[in-house]
Formats: sequence, structure tokens, C-alpha cells
Amino acid sequence: MKIVPPRHEREPNRRPLDAKLARRIFSYTRPHARRRNWLFFLTAARSLLLPALGWAVGAVLAGPIARHDGRGTALGVAGFVALLLVTNGMFVFRIRFALELGEALVHDLRRDIYAHLLRMPLSFFQRMPAGRLVARISSDVDSIRLGIQDSVFIGIVHVGSMLASATLMALYDLTLFLVVLGLVPVLWAILRYFHRRLARSYGEMQESFSRVAATLAESVGGMRVIQGFGRQDITGGLFRALIYDHSRYNLGIARQNAIFTPLLEFNGQIFVAILIVLGGYQTLTGRIEVGALLQFFFLANLFFNPIPILTNQYNQALAAMAGAERVFRLLDTAPDWIDRPGAGPLPGLLGRVEFRAVSFAYEPGRAVLRDVSFVALPGQTVAIVGETGSGKTTIASLIAKFYPPSEGSILIDGHDAADIDTDWLHGRMGNVLQASFLFSGTVLDNIRFGRPSATRDEVQAAARALDVLEVIDGLPRGLDTEVGERGASLSAGERQIVCFCRAMLANPRILILDEATSAIDVVTEARLQKALGVLLGGRTSFVVAHRLSTVRHADLVLVLAAGRVVESGRFDDLVRAGGVLAGLHRGAGITTG
Amino acid sequence: MSPGRGKRRLMSTPAADEPAGSSSMVQRLLRLAWAYRARCMAVLSYQIALLALGLAGLALSGLAVDVIRRQVSPGAPAPRWPLGWTPPATWPPLALIAAAGGIVLVMAAARAVLNYRYGAAVGHLVQMQFVPEMRTRVFDKLQRMSFRFFDATASGSIINRVTSDVQSVRAFVDQVLIQGVILFLSLGVYLVFMLGKHPTLTAACLGTTPLLWLFATMFSRRVHPLYHRSRALSDELVNHVTETVQGIRVIKGFAREPEQRAAFDAKSLAVRDQQRGIFRRVSRFSPAIDLLGHANVVVLLLYGGHLVATGRLTLGDLIVFAGLLQQFSGQVGTLANIVNTLQQSLTSARRVFEVLDAPIEIADPAAPERPTMVRGAVRFEQLNFGYRPGETALADIDFEAQPGQRVVLFGETGSGKSTLLALIPRFYDASAGRVLVDGVDTRRWDLGELRSHIGVVFQDSFLFSMSVASNIAFGKADATRDEIEHAARLALADDFIRALPEGYDSILEEGASNLSGGQRQRLAIARAILRDPSILLLDDPTAAVDHETEREVLAALQAVSQARTTFIATHRLPACRGADLILVLDDGRIVERGTHDQLMRQGGRYFAAAQLQLGGAPVFTADTVPATAFTERGK
Repeated sequence: MKIVPPRHEREPNRRPLDAKLARRIFSYTRPHARRRNWLFFLTAARSLLLPALGWAVGAVLAGPIARHDGRGTALGVAGFVALLLVTNGMFVFRIRFALELGEALVHDLRRDIYAHLLRMPLSFFQRMPAGRLVARISSDVDSIRLGIQDSVFIGIVHVGSMLASATLMALYDLTLFLVVLGLVPVLWAILRYFHRRLARSYGEMQESFSRVAATLAESVGGMRVIQGFGRQDITGGLFRALIYDHSRYNLGIARQNAIFTPLLEFNGQIFVAILIVLGGYQTLTGRIEVGALLQFFFLANLFFNPIPILTNQYNQALAAMAGAERVFRLLDTAPDWIDRPGAGPLPGLLGRVEFRAVSFAYEPGRAVLRDVSFVALPGQTVAIVGETGSGKTTIASLIAKFYPPSEGSILIDGHDAADIDTDWLHGRMGNVLQASFLFSGTVLDNIRFGRPSATRDEVQAAARALDVLEVIDGLPRGLDTEVGERGASLSAGERQIVCFCRAMLANPRILILDEATSAIDVVTEARLQKALGVLLGGRTSFVVAHRLSTVRHADLVLVLAAGRVVESGRFDDLVRAGGVLAGLHRGAGITTG
Repeated sequence: MSPGRGKRRLMSTPAADEPAGSSSMVQRLLRLAWAYRARCMAVLSYQIALLALGLAGLALSGLAVDVIRRQVSPGAPAPRWPLGWTPPATWPPLALIAAAGGIVLVMAAARAVLNYRYGAAVGHLVQMQFVPEMRTRVFDKLQRMSFRFFDATASGSIINRVTSDVQSVRAFVDQVLIQGVILFLSLGVYLVFMLGKHPTLTAACLGTTPLLWLFATMFSRRVHPLYHRSRALSDELVNHVTETVQGIRVIKGFAREPEQRAAFDAKSLAVRDQQRGIFRRVSRFSPAIDLLGHANVVVLLLYGGHLVATGRLTLGDLIVFAGLLQQFSGQVGTLANIVNTLQQSLTSARRVFEVLDAPIEIADPAAPERPTMVRGAVRFEQLNFGYRPGETALADIDFEAQPGQRVVLFGETGSGKSTLLALIPRFYDASAGRVLVDGVDTRRWDLGELRSHIGVVFQDSFLFSMSVASNIAFGKADATRDEIEHAARLALADDFIRALPEGYDSILEEGASNLSGGQRQRLAIARAILRDPSILLLDDPTAAVDHETEREVLAALQAVSQARTTFIATHRLPACRGADLILVLDDGRIVERGTHDQLMRQGGRYFAAAQLQLGGAPVFTADTVPATAFTERGK
């Protein structure tokens, strides 16, 4: 098994800070402006209160305590306690508002993304892997949330504290402050250097991990094949090689971090050493007081401590930027097509469907349907047959108005489908196109999907009309049976029956149906065919047919080959004519001998 | 070749549900870590050196303060020199200060080096030793697990065991064990040091620490279930999106966008509201902890200030004390992290050990038989089988297939035909009775040898994302190109392979999605026959293909089954063509047997199914349909 490259190009998980993106995220705080403004006030206040607390401790130690002034100490401590209470009281709201703001904003974002997804036409979902769309609404939105809840406000607090303590230091002693200032560029250089190197290493590490994960997923999925063919040694060896390859990247990152963090700390210690020598000298020569020197030690801590925190928050902010960029790119993706201006509902729907020289290509230049024309009269059943890839499902999708035709036109009751409101049309069509797709929930929920307002009795009536009520009642909890993820706890036959009921309940004028190809036992098969007959009755129906009996009973059979209608007419006539359909017919049967 | 319904039974054996005792799990993890003791000790020694340096640094800065104060205001108490050494009075104070600065620098450099060595050593221990060794062990074990395990365990869960669970288990080594030892060591040393400076002040300052601990425990107990619930709600939200994307045709087809949007908004709101409850608690907790932590400082300033004022403590000592106190509170804070990590690694350890401890069900016998020539005679003797004890998937199976014969197992979904096939290469062992290949019980065969004589075409024709040639040569990595092309020609796959952009070297996409169903099946058939097996098994090769493809596959089948004992599980009539023996299975039993003509004359189940598939009128009317026909879901 060779190393599997990640299937799609990797998505970067960091992105430089970008003012435009930040402004756009910020615009989402507008509905929560009151909370946001309070939050900014609280944050600003905190960035001053934190250094004030540090200063207070130093001031008490260096002032009254050093002077052996008991009363002054008590007063100073009382002041400190008061300051402490105020700080922490405000802290309660600073935390709560930030968390709530982030969560509220993320809720709004999720809502917008989801609404946007539902507006996108089907072609979009064919291009976009499902995993990516899910990632947009889960992990990307989550990194934005963390960016708001933590990075912005923690960042403000710490930058503010650093500025405040720098100011205090400058006030106490300008020379010593200049020393601090001189160290800042060094710090900055270290941060930048390691930030770049680590970012690159993380990227490589993730790439190597996606190789491990992809190989692992494939091995687990194909474990029966591996064991059946006795490949354990080879797979094991390759996996081991991948694992150790991945480990080397991890070790590299651990090593870089092991240099980075101590180096930052060392930098701080250089300052302390300078402070001792320079400050000590100044104190000895009487230029500053011992108290001021002590204060400087406390303030220096306040100045240097936030740096590693800011580094972390900076990384998180970059992740939030990458998430925001992807989310907004999705939100900015315009649908491939929308209803024409002026498209509206028809007064009613009879169900006449006509294709006039329709051609269609999913990608320009690669036609899937060529020059298809036919007429289906209201109430007729049309069977669409052909080999895999001949365009059967595409015709069905065009009737359902999932895509507009590339050329030609589709007329519904004599009106161009492009001039009919899509939602209105979908509301009057039944669609069993995606063979037996069920949503998790109960059987009742799934049938009601066809008409959410239907009562339980109406659902039962629909099942009774199809003569499948006893099948549904025979399920462990009847209509209230949970179908499981994608209907996994029902058999294939039962799933199809639920889909039939769903379409029956919707009672559409036009029904489009994709017959299940999967293995269904003969008894269920008999039952399904009977139900299908009822379902198709009295409406214009299009069936992507896999079963002979369906084709046999159709009013019109369209035989497709390579995107063209090569034969059309009634089944018996076509068989008698001895064309493609006749050949298919023979293949489906059994010739013994 | 597994029963499709098995997947739904997630690992729910009683042993898995009942968590093994945490203490025994910790003991086991400790034993595991013991294997890495030398490196763990090295890592710890760096930390001990760091601790000592930290304390020395603090003590020195206190000394420096006292020295300076003494110089500036001679009334101040004399500094307490360590180790009974006093610098000669002739040294100028400036030299003392310069020396102090130098010492700080030297110590900082030493710290930096030690810290680097520590980080690199831990990295090497966990990333180069523990994690890859553990992952290799788990994966090797997985490869020896029986099909039963893969039937019962979702693949996502298996993958997690090799990836994230192993990472959580290793966190036990570096984040629980090593950090825990460091924590207790440093807390002890700080405590001794502080007590040495001033016992009463120590007691007064640390008075609030137990309260801090109590508070944190209570909080995590309250909030834990809330997080759990919040996690569940988020999962629901993600599932909703996944389903929307998968079922988008249904949603659009029924114009159900408004309902879906409302349902999503409700779920999203539920997450938000649930989070609010957590936020309210968190926003009270953090400031309260901060307040409690600062209570130490208040005591220190008041009481310590009093001590300094009354001359019982030097200012330098008080500053050292403040520093120690800060370190001490910081360490107490990490305790909560350690406990959290411990919980996570215990959960993961259970899942990893579950794999490592699972018994190997299908193993080689002590003295395996390795016949040189295999003719391909297969006999089932009074065989019974159940996937779980007490359950019957196959009962009283008794038949014999002569070398070169073609046997069709005909039956509905869930009738047991796939199960029967899976017993021949010993993917499972029979509960009673036995399977004989060339007259030898399969349990006495060398497992690898047995399987090398059997070619299997699995129901889902799983192909790997590598080249077409490597896929065909999957069972024989050293096959020559000639052998590969020969197998492909036999399986009627050569033509379409040559039409691919890179021919035999074309790389298949994940799930071979760039091939049609019939092409995938033919590749799977070529793969199965490359080793020229005496026995060929095909599990429902035409289950999910249309009629045209069915013909392609059957033609390939016809070509490759010459001179091999071939078993085909199917529910389709065309696949029965030319069978020497058809076994009709129902509910795990053979209910009819014979050739096509014999069975058609019998007018039983086979006949009825044939009528239906030939497009004739249904034989059953709805009234006579037995209700059991619809209860084939995983019981």
C-alpha cells in the first residue's frame, strides 16, 4: 500500500491578521452592541486594574512595610483589598460577556451559513465534499468563537497591562525603563523567528498525520481484504514506517518548543541581571530609593509575564482568521443559478411535462444529455431505462428542476419551467430520487417529511392506501420506531416503503422516483411493486426503472444511451421492434441450458 | 463478507460497559511506564536541578535586597549569609552587586539549558518511543483481530483508538506521572523552605489553600455534566448538517428548506442556551479562585508586614516569601490539570487495552497442516454457527462440493449465505460441527496457507487507493506484470484497464469512485484469481449493479471459474446459471438443494423466486405475505 496523498489540497489552519476580515467579524457584533460596548469598557478597565494590583503590592512592601509603619500597612492593605474586590467583581462580567458574545455571534454565523447552504443549488453540493461543509459550520466557526471569546479580550487586557506597567516604570526611573525598551526588539525578533519556524513545522506535522490517518482509515475499511489475502506483514510494515515518519515531525516541534520557551525566559532574566547591577548602583549612589528599585522588580514581572500568553493568543487569532476566511468565502459563494426575475407560481398544476431539445452538461463541454425531447401527458407513467451513466438520473434531476437545462427548454403545463417559482414547483412535486434516503428520527418524522402538517391519522391513511400499514405496524415500535442514522436500523425494503409513504403523503401532481437497485428479498419485492402501482396511479410519474415489471406497465418508455433517447414508446412495441430494450430484456431474464 | 446488519451492534459486551477499576487501570499504566523508567528518571533529574536553581535564585534576590538596604540605611538588620560564609568587609558594595548580577545571569543560562534538555528529553520519550511503539502494537493487534471485531466496532472508533486514544494514554506518562512527581516534589520543597523561613507565616498564608482545592473540585463536579450535555447538543447540530448535505435532494425535492432551517436554528439555539448556563458558572468561578488566591497575599502583607516592622523578619525574606507563595499557588493550580488529564487518559487507556487484551479468536493450531497440493474439495459437516452465543445464523449445514464444482448459495438478505462463505477461509469458527478442505478440518490448517488457496471476492469489492496493478497484485506483492495482466484478461478487465489514462498504472481514487460498479467487481475478481486459488468465493457479486453490469460480471465469473471450486452467494437468478449444486438457504438452514432444473420442477421457494424475477405475476398476494419477511433487521 503506497502512501496516500491527502485527497484534497490541505486547508491552511492559520492566516495572517487581516483588517478586512476582522471588520467583517466585528460587524456580526452589531446586534449585540450593548454587551459588546460594556465588554470593551470592562476590558479596558481590567488592563489598568491588573497593573494597579501589582503596583499596590509593591507599594505596600516598599512603602509602609519597609518603613515599619503598621498603620500605613493596614491602610495600604485595605486599599489593596478594595481594589481586589472591584477588579474581580468586574472580572465576573468581563468573562461572562465575552463568552456570551462569542456564543451569540457564533449562533448567528451558523444560522447564516446553514441558510446559505439551503439556498445553494444541487450542483454546489456535488462540487463540495460533505466533510468540508460540516467543517465550516463546526470547527471553523469554533475557531472564530475562541478568537472572540479569548484572543481579542485577553489580548487587549495584556497589551494594556504591558503599556500601563511600562508607563509606571518610565515614571519611576527613565534609565531602567530604557533598558526594558532596548530588550523589546530582541524579544520581537525571537518571537517572529520561532513563530515562522513553528508554523512551518506544524504544517508538515499535520500533513504527515493526514497520511497516517488516510492510510489507517483505508486499512481498517479494507481489513477483511487484507486478512483474506494475507497482507498483514506488508501493511504493518508500511504503517510502522508512516508512524515513525510522523513521530519525527512531532519530535522536531517538541525540540523547537524546548528552545523557544527557555529562550524567552532567559531574555527576561537578562533584564533582571541588568536591573540588579544598574539599579543597585543607582541606589547605592543615592539616585533612587530602595523602594523604587523594588517596585521595578514587580513592574518588570507585569511587563514580561504577558508575553507567552500573548504568543498563544496570537496563534489562536491566526486560526480564527483562517476559519473566518473560509466561512466568509462560503457565504460569498453565489448560487450557480437563481430563479429568473418575475418567476412565479402557476394558477394550478395539471402535470404535463415536455422536453424540447434539451441538452445538459454538468461541466462545460462534457454533455451528459443531448437533444432530448418527449412529452408526458398528465397522469402518465414514464419509465427511464438505460445503462449506468447513460443519463437517467440527470433527466430526473432536470424534471425536478435541480438544474436548469444547458440548451433547450422544459415546459410544465405549457409554461417554461424557468419562469416558474422553484419552491412552488418543488412543493407540488414528489421526489424519491435519492433511493431510500432517511433522516434520523422516527418513521413518523420521515413520512411527515412529505407534508409536515399531516396528522398521525393522515400518515396511517397514506400507508394504508399503499397497503403497507401492516409492515410499518410490524416494526418494533410501529410509526415511532427510530430509523437510526441514515435509516440503518431498517432493512432496505422497509426503507423504500417509508420513502413511498413519504411521497404518497405529499400527494404530488408530478412524481419522480429512483427505483432501488439494492438487494431486496423476493417477498418484500412483491409488496413494493404493488405499492408502487398505487403510488404512481393518477399522477404524472417518472421512474428511473431497474425492474422489468415497472417498465412493462409504463405508458412511455425512454431508452437512453450515452445521453440520447435512442428508443421511446410502449414496452411491447419496443420489444417487438427488437432494439436496445429488447436486448436489455433478454439480459435480465434467465436462459437455462 | 460480513453480515451487513452486524455493524449496528456496537461494542456492547458486558465487559466493555463495565469500566475496569480505575486503580487497577492506573497500576497497569504505571507498569507500562516502568518500561521507560531510565528516560523518565533522566527527565526528572533535569526538573530537580531546575527546582534547586529556582530556589537558589529566589534566596539570592532576597539576600541582595537585604544587602542593599543595609548599605543604604545602616539601621536595617544584617543580611543572613548562607552556608556560614560572609564576604570580606573590604569588598566594595558595587562589586557585591556586580557579582549578584553575574550569578543571576549564570543561573539563568543554566536554567535555559536544563529547560531545553528537559523539553527535548520528554519529546523524545513520548514522540519517538512511547507513541509509535504503542501505535504499532495496537495496529499489529488489529490486524490479527477476527472479522467479528470489525463487524461489531464502528471503523471511526477503531481509528480513534490508534490515533487520539494512544495520544491520551501517553499523556499519562508525561503529563500525569512526570508532572505529578514534579508537583509533589516542588510543593514539598517549597513548603520545607517556607517553614524554614517562618513557620507561623507559612501556616497563615497557606490557610486558604485547602479551600481553593475544595472549591475547584466542587466546581468541576457541577460543570462536568453540563459540558457533557453541551457536547451532545453540538454533536446533534453537526449530525443535522451532515444529514442535510447527504439528503439535500430529498430536502429540495420536497421543498422542505423552511422546516430544515427552523429545526437547525432550534438546535443551534439549544447549544447557545446550554452554553449560557456553563458561562454563568465559569464567570463566577474564575474570579472567586482569583480572589481566594489573593487572600494569601493579603495575609502576607498584613502579618508579614507586621513581622518586618517588629524586626522578626527581614524585608528580603518577606520578598522571598512572596515569591515562594506565588510559585506554590501556581503549582496547586496545575494539580487540577493533572487530575483532568488523568481522567482522560484512563478513559482512553480502557479503549486501547480493550484492543490489546482482546483474545485472538482465529489462531494457528499448534501443529498446523500444510498440504502441498490443494484440490479444492469442501465439506460442511453438521455445522452450526452464531455470531453471538445463543444466536443462530447457520444450523445443520451439511453438504459436499467436489473439486471444480460450482455451488450457488441462494437466499434472501439475512438468510446466512454470506456467513456460510465466510466460514470456508476461517474468517469465523463454527460453533458446532466442522468445515473440511481436502478432508482436513480448517482449524488444523496453517491459516495463512489455507487462505492462500482461497480467492475471495467480497460483497463491496473494496479496492485500495493505489494503482490498478498493485490492487490486482494485492494478494501477491511480488507478482510480475505478466501475471497481473493475465489475471485481468481472465476477469475480462484488461480492455477497460487499458482504456484508463495510465492503464495499469492508473491510481484509483478513494473508494475507486472513478470506476463503475461492474469494473470494480471485475478488478476484485482479477485480484482473487491472481494467486490461482483452488477455491473461489464470490459474495453477492451482482447485488448492487444493473442488468447490463450484471452480465459483464457474470461473463467474467464464467471465465475464471474453470477448474476451481467456486461458491457464489446470490439472490439473483442469472448468477445460478450453470451451477452444479444450488443450496437454497432460509433463516440459516438449507431448505432446498439441487440443480436449476430440479429446483424448478420442485416448485418450491426457488421456483417462486424465479417466477418473480422473470417478471411474471407475483406468486404471493399481499394477504399471504408472512410478517416475518420484514423483520430481517439486526435482531
